[in-house]
Amino acid sequence: MSHGDRDHHAKIATGKGDPQCFKGTADGPPKFKVGQRVRIKNLPDIFYTRCQVYTRGAVGEVAVITHESPAPEDEAWGHVDKSEWFYIVRFKQKDLWPEYPAAFANDTLQTEFSERWLEPA
Amino acid sequence: MSKKHDHDHGHDHKAAPMVEEISDFEALEIAVRELAIEKGLFTAEDHRRFTEFAEQIGPTPAARMVAKAWLDPKFKQLLFTDVIEASKHVGVDYLKPTGFGTPSDYTDVRVLEDTPTLKHVVVCTLCSCYPRPILGFQPEWYRTPNYRRRLVRWPRQVLAEFGLSLPPEVEIRVEDSNQKCRFIVMPVRPKGTEGWTEDQLTAIVTRDCLIGVALPKPGVTTNVKLQVMHPPGQAH
Repeated sequence: MSHGDRDHHAKIATGKGDPQCFKGTADGPPKFKVGQRVRIKNLPDIFYTRCQVYTRGAVGEVAVITHESPAPEDEAWGHVDKSEWFYIVRFKQKDLWPEYPAAFANDTLQTEFSERWLEPA
Repeated sequence: MSKKHDHDHGHDHKAAPMVEEISDFEALEIAVRELAIEKGLFTAEDHRRFTEFAEQIGPTPAARMVAKAWLDPKFKQLLFTDVIEASKHVGVDYLKPTGFGTPSDYTDVRVLEDTPTLKHVVVCTLCSCYPRPILGFQPEWYRTPNYRRRLVRWPRQVLAEFGLSLPPEVEIRVEDSNQKCRFIVMPVRPKGTEGWTEDQLTAIVTRDCLIGVALPKPGVTTNVKLQVMHPPGQAH
């Protein structure tokens, strides 16, 4: 925990920005590739999450690999010693919402996940 | 502070407050700010300078970056690879004023390029994440649960409420900006703008076009004098 040092973030990010300050801090290269089909895992999220409930269990395609950063589930509590790769995943709207009209079969939605939330589909 | 009067009045001399109530959040903000100043976390001047910075941001930088990208393929290339660098060309230093970026805005911004068959629209269902350094503060509607909950599930209905209806062949792609990335939409450059200058193009790329709930139109700017239509038969 970085409780004691109020200036911690300013020290690591000044002149670089955030998430740039976390570049190179993930454990390895991204596990998933652009174009890969992935499923959103339904991990326990008791205290805090930024993984929307409407995406849990849905299957989509990796659209963009964005950056490395601590997952928000850790960062919210000051745990910034570990980073993960982040991915924008694209879904067909008809796969997210049961009543989505068939007339608009082309419609999509994309949103971003840290690596822990993804598994191959 | 009350004055003593030696003549009779039928009314109270207390000045009526301009605002009847203060919200809980306003009271909380004042309390936390005063406590922070008392504890030496920052000074009142720090707070004033940050407030002045926040109150001068607006949508013009993002509008101008889209106009530049429409006109110049090289700038478009820069915009699609490094928005932070591109922002400097329109006078925005994304790291300011802290040196590492403003809270909740971060420094990873992406441009979503529309095509004739692809329309992007941005929302943050979790809160109201928004690329403020180049777009200004979020409109109030963008922060409401009404928009945030409904756009992801009923995008066509919500866009119709903004006056935007698109044929089924056009893919509507909702971007739920739930992490550190922030997004602006680059709409398709409309017909009727051939030969326009950067200033002319900038004027029609409104904030709502950059969020994705409106399409840019010649003659429609934030400064437009709008002829409001009255029901037939009413004298005007």
